[in-house]
Amino acid sequence: MKKIFNIIAAAALVLSLSGCEKFLDRPSKTTLDDSNYWYSEDMVRLFVNGAYGAYFFGYGNNWTDAGAPAVFDNGKGEYSDDVTSANKQKDILISLPADNWFRKEQVSGSYSVLARRTSAPWNFAYIRKWNLLIDRLNTMKEEGTLTAEAYNHWMGVARFFRGWEYSRLVESFGDFPYYGESLSTSDFDGQYKDRDPRTFVMDKVMEDFDYAMENVRTNDGADYVNRFVVGTVASRCMLFEGTWYVYHKNDDALKTCTDLDKHAKTYLQKAAEYAGYVIENGNYKFDTDFRTLFGTLYKAPASKEIILYRAYNRTVKTSYSHCVATYCNGEEAQGAAGNLSTLKAWICNDGQPYSSTTVANGDSWRMQDMVVTRDPRFEATFWDEPKNSSTGLYVEKFIDRVGPTYAYNGQARPSQYASNTNENGYPVVRYAETVLNWIEAKAELADKFDGAAVTQADLDKSINAIRQRPLDATAIAKGVQKTAAMDINNLPNDPERTAAPQRTTLGYKTVGFVSPLLWEIRRERRMEFFLEKVRSLDIRRWGQLELMLIANNPDLGIGGYVELDLAATLKAEAAAALGRPAQETNLKKTSDNMGYNLLVAANKDIVSVMPLEGTNADGTLKLGARKFFTCTESNGVITSSNYNEMRGFLVPRNIQDRDPLNVDVRNYLEPICSQVIDQYKEKAAATGKDYKISQNPGWE
Amino acid sequence: MRMTKLFAACAAAILFMGSGIAYAAASSSEMAADQQQSRISGTVVDAQGEPIPGASVIVKGTTTGTMTDATGVFTLSVRTGATLEVSCIGYTTVEVAAQDKLTIVLEDDAELLAETVVVGYGAQKKVNLTGSVSVVDPEKVLDSRPIPDLGRGLQGTTPGMTVQVGSSEVGSDARIRIRGQVGSEQGSASPLILLDNVEIPSLNLVNPDDIESISVLKDAASASIYGAKAAFGVVLITSKKGAKEAEKVSVTYSGNMAFQSLAKNYQMADVEALHYWVVAGERVGTTTPVGTFMKVDRAGYNAAVAWKEKYGNTVAYDDPMVYGRDWYIGSDGKSKIGVRTYDPYKYLVRSNAPSQTHNVAVAGSKGNTNFNVSLGYLNQKGMLKVTDFDYFSRYNANVRLDTKVNNWLGVHGGIMFTHSTKSWAFATSSTTADPWYYAFRWASNYPLVATDENGNALRNPTCEIATGKQATKDTDYTSINLGTTITPMKNWKINIDYTFSNNDVQTRKPGTRFYGDDIWYATPLTVMDGSDVVTIENEWNSYNGLGATINKMYIKPSDYYSDSYDLLYQDSYTGKRHTWNATSNYGFTLGEAHDFNLMLGLNTVKYAETGVWGQKKMLLNYDNAQFALSTGTETTGGGYVWNSTVGFFGRMNYNYKEKYLFEANLRRDGSSKFRGPLQWRWFPSASAGWRVSEEPWMQSVKPVMNFLKLRASWGMIGDQTVPSSLYIPTIAALDQYWMHEDKVTSAYATPDLVDSDITWQDIVTLDFGVDFSLFNQVDVTFDWYQRDTKNMIVPAEGLSYNIGALPPKGNYGDLRTRGWEFSVRYGKTFSNGLSLSATASLADAKTIVTNYGSAKGISGWYNGKEYGEIWGYRVDRLFQNDDFAHDANGNLIESKDKYGKTYVFADGKDYATQGRIATGSYISGPGDVKFVDLNGDGIIDYGSQLIEDADGNPAYGDYTRIGNSTPRYEYSLMINGDYKGFDFSVFFQGVGKREMLGSSWMTVPGFQMADGGMPATFANDFWFEDKDANGNVIASNYNAFYPRPASCGRGLTFNMVPSDRYMLNMAYFRIKNITLGYTLPKKLTEKVSISKARVYVSLENFFTFDHLNGLPVDPEEIAGYSSFNSSNYNSGFAGVGAPAYKSASFGVQVTF
Repeated sequence: MKKIFNIIAAAALVLSLSGCEKFLDRPSKTTLDDSNYWYSEDMVRLFVNGAYGAYFFGYGNNWTDAGAPAVFDNGKGEYSDDVTSANKQKDILISLPADNWFRKEQVSGSYSVLARRTSAPWNFAYIRKWNLLIDRLNTMKEEGTLTAEAYNHWMGVARFFRGWEYSRLVESFGDFPYYGESLSTSDFDGQYKDRDPRTFVMDKVMEDFDYAMENVRTNDGADYVNRFVVGTVASRCMLFEGTWYVYHKNDDALKTCTDLDKHAKTYLQKAAEYAGYVIENGNYKFDTDFRTLFGTLYKAPASKEIILYRAYNRTVKTSYSHCVATYCNGEEAQGAAGNLSTLKAWICNDGQPYSSTTVANGDSWRMQDMVVTRDPRFEATFWDEPKNSSTGLYVEKFIDRVGPTYAYNGQARPSQYASNTNENGYPVVRYAETVLNWIEAKAELADKFDGAAVTQADLDKSINAIRQRPLDATAIAKGVQKTAAMDINNLPNDPERTAAPQRTTLGYKTVGFVSPLLWEIRRERRMEFFLEKVRSLDIRRWGQLELMLIANNPDLGIGGYVELDLAATLKAEAAAALGRPAQETNLKKTSDNMGYNLLVAANKDIVSVMPLEGTNADGTLKLGARKFFTCTESNGVITSSNYNEMRGFLVPRNIQDRDPLNVDVRNYLEPICSQVIDQYKEKAAATGKDYKISQNPGWE
Repeated sequence: MRMTKLFAACAAAILFMGSGIAYAAASSSEMAADQQQSRISGTVVDAQGEPIPGASVIVKGTTTGTMTDATGVFTLSVRTGATLEVSCIGYTTVEVAAQDKLTIVLEDDAELLAETVVVGYGAQKKVNLTGSVSVVDPEKVLDSRPIPDLGRGLQGTTPGMTVQVGSSEVGSDARIRIRGQVGSEQGSASPLILLDNVEIPSLNLVNPDDIESISVLKDAASASIYGAKAAFGVVLITSKKGAKEAEKVSVTYSGNMAFQSLAKNYQMADVEALHYWVVAGERVGTTTPVGTFMKVDRAGYNAAVAWKEKYGNTVAYDDPMVYGRDWYIGSDGKSKIGVRTYDPYKYLVRSNAPSQTHNVAVAGSKGNTNFNVSLGYLNQKGMLKVTDFDYFSRYNANVRLDTKVNNWLGVHGGIMFTHSTKSWAFATSSTTADPWYYAFRWASNYPLVATDENGNALRNPTCEIATGKQATKDTDYTSINLGTTITPMKNWKINIDYTFSNNDVQTRKPGTRFYGDDIWYATPLTVMDGSDVVTIENEWNSYNGLGATINKMYIKPSDYYSDSYDLLYQDSYTGKRHTWNATSNYGFTLGEAHDFNLMLGLNTVKYAETGVWGQKKMLLNYDNAQFALSTGTETTGGGYVWNSTVGFFGRMNYNYKEKYLFEANLRRDGSSKFRGPLQWRWFPSASAGWRVSEEPWMQSVKPVMNFLKLRASWGMIGDQTVPSSLYIPTIAALDQYWMHEDKVTSAYATPDLVDSDITWQDIVTLDFGVDFSLFNQVDVTFDWYQRDTKNMIVPAEGLSYNIGALPPKGNYGDLRTRGWEFSVRYGKTFSNGLSLSATASLADAKTIVTNYGSAKGISGWYNGKEYGEIWGYRVDRLFQNDDFAHDANGNLIESKDKYGKTYVFADGKDYATQGRIATGSYISGPGDVKFVDLNGDGIIDYGSQLIEDADGNPAYGDYTRIGNSTPRYEYSLMINGDYKGFDFSVFFQGVGKREMLGSSWMTVPGFQMADGGMPATFANDFWFEDKDANGNVIASNYNAFYPRPASCGRGLTFNMVPSDRYMLNMAYFRIKNITLGYTLPKKLTEKVSISKARVYVSLENFFTFDHLNGLPVDPEEIAGYSSFNSSNYNSGFAGVGAPAYKSASFGVQVTF
């Protein structure tokens, strides 16, 4: 009996003591966690991979298109003076939002930027990500998991992204709380600190960029961040910041900062230095026609212009696709589209603006004429006739040459041109930006900070190099010509540079009209980056947000030139009733003839045009009074008295200006949302400490 | 004669009537032979000499008998030499020779007093229980019922245990909760279900016929011995182990054949739905045809009414759809206007779905060996018509063996095997929209008939379900048990058990492609295959004005299929569980009266689950879907889960003279779900009881109250149902959309922020109970309890957004459930042989969030929230025309205030504005709902939906708590009777209070209006006002219950914003079961060596009383819950899944 007892007791003891801890050791085998993740350089790479979609969003993915170019949806598209929609113009922000930010890393790979800012929301997830990576890299170095070279590279990458993230946050909010390392859950003083001056934050950013420029590999494999990616992006951030101090130096929001001129100069010099490094060492060239950059299917085109590229290919994985090309396929309507301000900005291929061009037909505003008289990027950007959009301008920049022909020929489209299954890729970082950042920084330094004057050689390396970009066969067949080189000694004199709208902007009030050279550099950016969400940031840093109000900038409220009476409006019998020849259309076919059929009874007193009456003495356009379409309809027969008068610049239907509050000085910066403010207040009340977050001017 | 009697009895049994008379008559004629009667009287007393009232005194072998009165006295006429049988519940039955002036002493029934209840790792005398334990008698609640699964069988049997049959999909598990619906925000609140002390994955695996006993451990003191998994109670099932009588082998067969039909007479709307549809369109100015595929306009609706009149009785439901008669192309040249209506119940619901069960068991005892071998089979057809693939089947095999090797060693073992198949027609690949979803989705003019006039199939659920291939989910569960019982000395018993179980689940979903007229998208053609255009008479000319003749139209049939179901999907998941249980029991008595029982035990569970799934698209052969015969994209995945628990436990029972009872438990639990020092915790519990009726001073009231016990218990159990990721800074793999070098690359996210101090949630239960019996006939039990979830895991507060991660979850919250349970049982055997018993129960529980930081939103959790509460408006009535001002033309006057669009009210009507409820073209007007301005601010709105604003004032506008989705006041009543071989039982069950906000077209008028499906309830009683061309009202329904039609999208909008008037009252009362059985007399059956033979009829779920106005929604339904998905099944829509059914069945039980 005792024996049995002993056996049982022994068995129980063995089970209870030796086996237990091991028995309960059941870590998940299918997931990784912070304690077992950091064992090799590969793991660091995979950790960084998770952020690519958030920083280089390209065309986004699937239906996630916020932050992608050429999205015409209300609220997600471009917020700049480059687009106008029917009805009321999109609000930027009028009232203080309770909470319109995202507090998580966007795990599906696309970063939801604030569409109206094209920069970061009040979200510290990525700050945490990079600070955490920096911390883990140091641990890995101590433990010998990384070689010194690998450590330097990845530390450079981590600091590059951290710098970029802070730069994006400063773009949105101005002053911003800076955290150089991970915050602990118990560090409430840190968590509830007030905003740091933006100069303080950007000095830290500059340190990160300097480190990255010295340590990031010049080649880390295709489609990975290398030093040239860093150089271009860092020049973008520094140019933004440098010019901001120039054109906003009297802003209330900058009162927290000192030595603005010194900072402006430093940042502009850094912008030129970073971009200059890429120009000198990167071996990049403009060897690829414009549409190939945006419309190439499945994988990156062989191009020396592309620094970093985001490819889409459903064969690799079904979900690797986007929806941006669909918006350009000729069938989908474009809600917000280019306007007269856009059209005026495009120079003719003799290098002169519309007011002084000598190109034949250069004074015509018909799209059919403009595509052959303007800079080749015009033809590559727009459909060559008025089409189904609020202004008649139809963008086809972000699709290949074949895509829109399906709609044109009334054929069903293959999947890569429809729905969310587009497979063309996007040059997320390209050399054109490098040279344009560089030349602008140089010109600003020369203009305001006694920098070396811009030389013809500088122009030839930058703007003139871009103008030498090859043309594709379609463009050549249409008769498109490369634009003449810019001559530093014979810069165009564009009357629009000193026209009334410029005078209404904050930037003008700060420094006066910009020089003809800066005007042309800015124009080059506008033509190059149309609908790529660059313009939104540009007009903000230049202090020109006011251009987004039709009241200041009437061209914003006017669309492209149309001849509506020639469009497919009337069936034969209706035309007979009007005593007009039956006219199918002067437009090329679309599948449902839906392209541009505006003169229907439903649009009575809604559709209107402004006729072109010639030019003013200074060479600017002279437009006539707005004419509305009038008609009566009976049994499907339309009778119109002013049918023939529907030629001119199309005014978007039911157009209304933005609320002036949208383009107030306060809108240059995003407000701190009320939930954040309340959170600080609550914590202050709970702890008795002096926690508060200061609000941007105009939002208090 | 003998044969005649047997035949008569059998025939009678089969006819279920009158057989008692036939047999009784025969008996009484025998009795009539002897007329010598004498009258006697006597007294029945207990061992203490106290009289026993209500004892039954029967003349043996007859039906003659009587009962004792309050003083224990009886009088009876007997013939000389007769024997009296004296019995009373709680006492042993005594037989005495009949003579006058008898004093009959009944001894306490030791067996009854010794009645034991299975508790955690042991059994205990019922009278000495101190915890809250309910016992279910399987014979009473399971034996004669046509129920496929144990879950349904347990419904209503145990006060405090809520069993919800949330889905009528065959093969679905019932949802079980013990004492309240929720345990914590993060974890589950499911009870632990144990079969012979081993956890099982589903109640559906157990054959109800194999069950010996079921105990439900409700309070922490009784459940805590099972440790962390038992935090929300335990359902303890023990299987049949062997013969009840020594040295005997018995063979039992039981079989049941049932037919299922709709539980209620549900009706979908007919032409009235088209009327509703047209009116909903007209209110927002849409006069063109409305609808998605088959459309309707006013003309079409009028034609549909005419169709009904003309063809309603002549066109059979399965006659093909004919162009011109049943549908036509509208005046716009493209809309398909349907004028014939189709009833989904006719096309898609089976009216007599058969179900059968067969069980054979061999149980026996030989020498020191006991054994039990059983086989079971179940096949239950689903309610879906037109396919043979809708069914659930199950095979069970069970072997149990135990033997005593010698006087101190016994061994036992068993094998249980279950194979079940859930089968369905794979018509849509998604469980957010299964075939049932489509069956009820479309308007009544959507053709559900199989073919058109050319014999081509139509694109509709009928065709698709019929074409759908068989999808299956096969579950194989095997459990092997081996154990030993060692008795080292008297009173010391050691039990060691090892159980291995393997649960293997295989799913196969073969896709298909459909062929038919694609009436969704195809444009009708005037000619097919180049023949001449044919014109036909326009039968509905007077309505649609299309002219006297119209072109004959066709839809060309074609293959249509979707990427999402042109595939083969298979998965295979296997879970293996190793369970060791070892217990040591030692009982001893100190002195005369101090009884001790000590138990020590060990329990370890190791579980691992592996799974793999694969899918390949583009099948080559739809009749033989195989991976090898597919050409499309292949995708695959899998998983691995493992966990383990260890528990050491001890229990001490002490009682003094079986009067003062005490029990204490202590368990040390370790769980692999937690890390490091948090893996181990101590969980104590204790309970005490006082058998007041044993006190000497209670003896005087004993004749009335023969039993009284007071109980109290307290216990704490750790809850480990929370996900382990809360404790671990997981780095998640991301679905990465970036390609590097033209390849998919992996990517990882930033680790979550976790609280390093996070620990177990504690479930603390306090229970007070009382048990008493009156007159040996009525047993009453009452319990009050409070269950606190302490240290509930909720998101941390006070962290700044600047930290860059979601706040980690920690033990910052508390939750409290309070409830009570009451049950009363009455049992009596009458002197004429009739034995009756009735059990009733009533229970209620309510859960309050007691600590949830500073959250204030009424839609989330906040301090003081009652779990399940529903917020909404109160409704005054429907607006009528005279509530509004009209202009000179008699039109309403539209106005706009800062809240939105309104119509101007009539003079003197000072109503609150409902502008906030208006959007787009919808404005509240005549026929729309008039909400109550509860806060009197002149605006109907819900404010900022905060329980209070920063100043502490209510900030929810006119919202108020209108109901609660928690089942409350659950009650049941079971009545059993026996009389001369006949037995009957009736089982009632119900829920006193439960509300639900509808969220489907079956529960909300105007929901997803474009599709058009709606129940008759809405279409038959909605507010409308039809006018002729001159504006005169020609038809109206001003006193309707449902408001003026409006398309409210896929949400609760416009008139259907949450409100008390249109919230669904889910309270119900059901006669769950009526059984009538007859056991053939033993002396007949013994002749053919049958020891027992019983036949019965059983009606399950036959009568339902609810408050749903005839909506086709089962009152027990949980929206979104089925065997396919536990949430979001059929998009979470109520009433769109498999309809509830009732069964009529016939069964036989024979024991040899």
